[in-house]
Amino acid sequence: MNKQEWIKAALAAGFDQFEIYQSGTKERSYTWFEGKMDTFTASRVLGTSLRGICGGKMVNYATEDLSDDGMDRIIASMKEQAGAITSDEPGVIRSPLPVPETAPQRRWTTPTAAEVRELLADIEQRVLAYDERIFMVIREGWSEETGTRSIFNSLGMDLEDTDTVQILTCGAAAKDGNDIKNEYRSEIVEDIHTFDRDAFVEKLCTDVLNKLNASSMASGTYPVIFESGAMTALFTAFSSMFSGDLIAKGISPLRDQYGQPVFSGKITITDDPLRREAAQVCPFDDEGCPTSAKTIVDHGVFRTILHNTRSASRINAESTGNGFRGSYASPVEVSPMNCCIEPGDKTLKELCAEMQNGLVITTLAGLHAGINPVTTDFSLQCSGYWVKDGKRDHSVSLVTVAANFLEMMGNVTAVGSDLEWKQHSVVTPSIAFKGCAISGK
Amino acid sequence: MLEKKQLEHYLSECMKSEADFAEIYEELEHSEAIKALNGKTEDVNQVITAGIGIRLYKELESVYAYTNDTSEDSVISLIHDLRDALGSCDKDAAVNLQEVLYENRNPVEIDYESVSLEEKTELLKRANNAAFGTDPRIVKVQTELLNVKQEVQIANSEGRLIRDTRVRTRLMTTAFASENGNLQSGGDRPGAGMGLEFYRTVTPEESGREAARVALVNLAAKDCPSGKMPVIIDNGFGGVIFHEACGHSLEATSVARGMSVFSGKLGTKIAADCVSAVDDGTIPNAWGSQNIDDEGNFQKRRVLIENGILKSYMIDRLNGRRMNMDSTSSSRRESYRFEPTSRMTNTFILPGNDSFEELFEGIERGLYAKKMGGGSVNPQTGEFNFAVNEGYLIENGKISYPVRGASLIGNGAEILKSIDRVCSNLKTGQGMCGSLSGSIPTDVGQPTIRVSSITVGGTANE
Repeated sequence: MNKQEWIKAALAAGFDQFEIYQSGTKERSYTWFEGKMDTFTASRVLGTSLRGICGGKMVNYATEDLSDDGMDRIIASMKEQAGAITSDEPGVIRSPLPVPETAPQRRWTTPTAAEVRELLADIEQRVLAYDERIFMVIREGWSEETGTRSIFNSLGMDLEDTDTVQILTCGAAAKDGNDIKNEYRSEIVEDIHTFDRDAFVEKLCTDVLNKLNASSMASGTYPVIFESGAMTALFTAFSSMFSGDLIAKGISPLRDQYGQPVFSGKITITDDPLRREAAQVCPFDDEGCPTSAKTIVDHGVFRTILHNTRSASRINAESTGNGFRGSYASPVEVSPMNCCIEPGDKTLKELCAEMQNGLVITTLAGLHAGINPVTTDFSLQCSGYWVKDGKRDHSVSLVTVAANFLEMMGNVTAVGSDLEWKQHSVVTPSIAFKGCAISGK
Repeated sequence: MLEKKQLEHYLSECMKSEADFAEIYEELEHSEAIKALNGKTEDVNQVITAGIGIRLYKELESVYAYTNDTSEDSVISLIHDLRDALGSCDKDAAVNLQEVLYENRNPVEIDYESVSLEEKTELLKRANNAAFGTDPRIVKVQTELLNVKQEVQIANSEGRLIRDTRVRTRLMTTAFASENGNLQSGGDRPGAGMGLEFYRTVTPEESGREAARVALVNLAAKDCPSGKMPVIIDNGFGGVIFHEACGHSLEATSVARGMSVFSGKLGTKIAADCVSAVDDGTIPNAWGSQNIDDEGNFQKRRVLIENGILKSYMIDRLNGRRMNMDSTSSSRRESYRFEPTSRMTNTFILPGNDSFEELFEGIERGLYAKKMGGGSVNPQTGEFNFAVNEGYLIENGKISYPVRGASLIGNGAEILKSIDRVCSNLKTGQGMCGSLSGSIPTDVGQPTIRVSSITVGGTANE
């Protein structure tokens, strides 16, 4: 693709500004099943997203079929789009600004195919040997991906960065009588040779065995601890509430709450795309805006609204560098990046000891459907374990937990210290709450 | 799209390996999403997806590569990667393709690409105006029109070359109702495997009014009580219960590896006598229909359960090998970026004989789930969950008051046996189903059914 030619053609066709965003990925992955390589996948994909300002309106076009001879047709189609947009909102394409320098935060060692096979075979054997109740290793796989993104625009922006990730995933199924349970674990692996296989297997096997012989429980309102993984999933599902776009549209639950206490004073939430311990470090967002650390909620008070360029321009504010795309073909939305609820100083065991009697939720299911992002009501299938006299007692499954997220976050009793970044861009430690409605028997 | 000769060349190259089967899936998809807020068009997102996926089998081992760089160098380089992974060998592997022609079961009258954006945004305005016109408490309306045209060609080392064009359209309306600081939403999302002629039969006005109606019901709703109770699940999208509780667990993806609660249960009773269910990819212009599956086999109607007896799984080619069974033409994928596997198409419980009113008889306290949201299942344990978007408490055999924030959970194997009433009013609803091979359009459906006991999750303190 001759980017200069595309920009020239777009400006000649009447566009005021024009931007070319490209995302390329190269991937290799393996899956393993019952002692054998099950699948191997290799890919090389490049996606291009074009944005232009025409008559003050922002238009988008994404394509994988990018030959320079299709240029005139695509630009004409984008011009038609500009005529169809009736929103009064002016479109903005950014001028370049200096972006922060970032040193590579991880040292990736790419394994050979033979080394990957050895790892997968070894993990499978270790899991099966861990306990006789574990009868199957499921969805075990290795994937490595290198992604490159670039932004080039008519205002002189010319940015590019590259990111790599290697992930090991493994599931285990365990059985006791007719009771079958499964559990999955995935971890970023910088170097197969130094990866702690024992710890990985121990955690996976302990988690799946702990799920066995679970029972439902009587419906009622109980003190609850959302363990780190479950809390991360729940918080991620509601994290759009800080979006300047949804706040401006009046459909965020925090629409009138800026500067107000919205959560318990025990809750501080930060967003830092440059955070080195996170899986992905982003010195600029997908519009080329430099990123920086922000405190979204400071001891319960809503201090920062997240913005991309478009949502910021509505209120004459500056983008916070949170303009990201779900994929190259998606429009730029407002998204948190390396956002976390700041950890407290108590371990999960200490949280349980403080709670004395209550439910620890380790897994949530149905998050794509069982939450209402407007009201923050949620009702979700969950499993975990009952804590009696401060200690783990028996496993619990097939119950639901229901609450209003905003109200719940006002009733925090303690925040745990167990924050782990893993491969997520939004994470939380375990958090203890006064009470949630549990529905079971 | 690649020419026949190129495909033959690439397939021959693939077979110069230890592979016993090779397949090339090529796709060119045009899509367009037009979004409006309060009647003003905010975004138009047009996307062209174009690429190929190459798959080789050696017995039960599968290797897959995909790219959107379809230059010869790029494709041959990927084929070499695959051959290396499987084992290369020098054998005469000529492939002669024969194109299979057939009559299109899903014809399109109005191609969305032939209609101006202005006319398409008019559909959004009609839905918007109808929603606002319902009640002054409707304060905000989001509308979106999605149009997709996917052309695929599939060629394999057995000499089959076949093409399909899949078109679909969907109108999505979300209405927001507000009263005394209480903001609630309601949605409606009709769609079909049709062109824009779809909106002659399902009008944008109906969709806008329906979204507003649900938002207004939720405005008046109280917190849902929790616990085990009888539940009546309405027709249409209510069929998501079968999709989650049973459908996924009948896909060969889980069954073939013994990872489903229904593995090894063919011919046995897995549901109540009143339950018969099918997965039918042949319904003309339905949301989940195709002429061929994503391995190039003609779509079929599959009877899954007949009077409670398990009759068939949904099987793709590779899992068919594992199970020593033929493919049921159930192979699907979101795009060339996904290796296909067994998936549902249009899946629904067949009509029974009960009347709607009879379902309420004898229920002292229960839930009437009129509109369902999505759900999910763990096929190995059978545990499923799904959300209720519009629900009503039943007291003494009658609808009492609307409730919100409810979810239903259970175990698939148990719930199918707990269905005790099935109405005659079969209807389908449209959804996007996510699984290993990506997000695909599927119809779910059922007549109104009654489940004698299911766990309802809610927030009411009682």
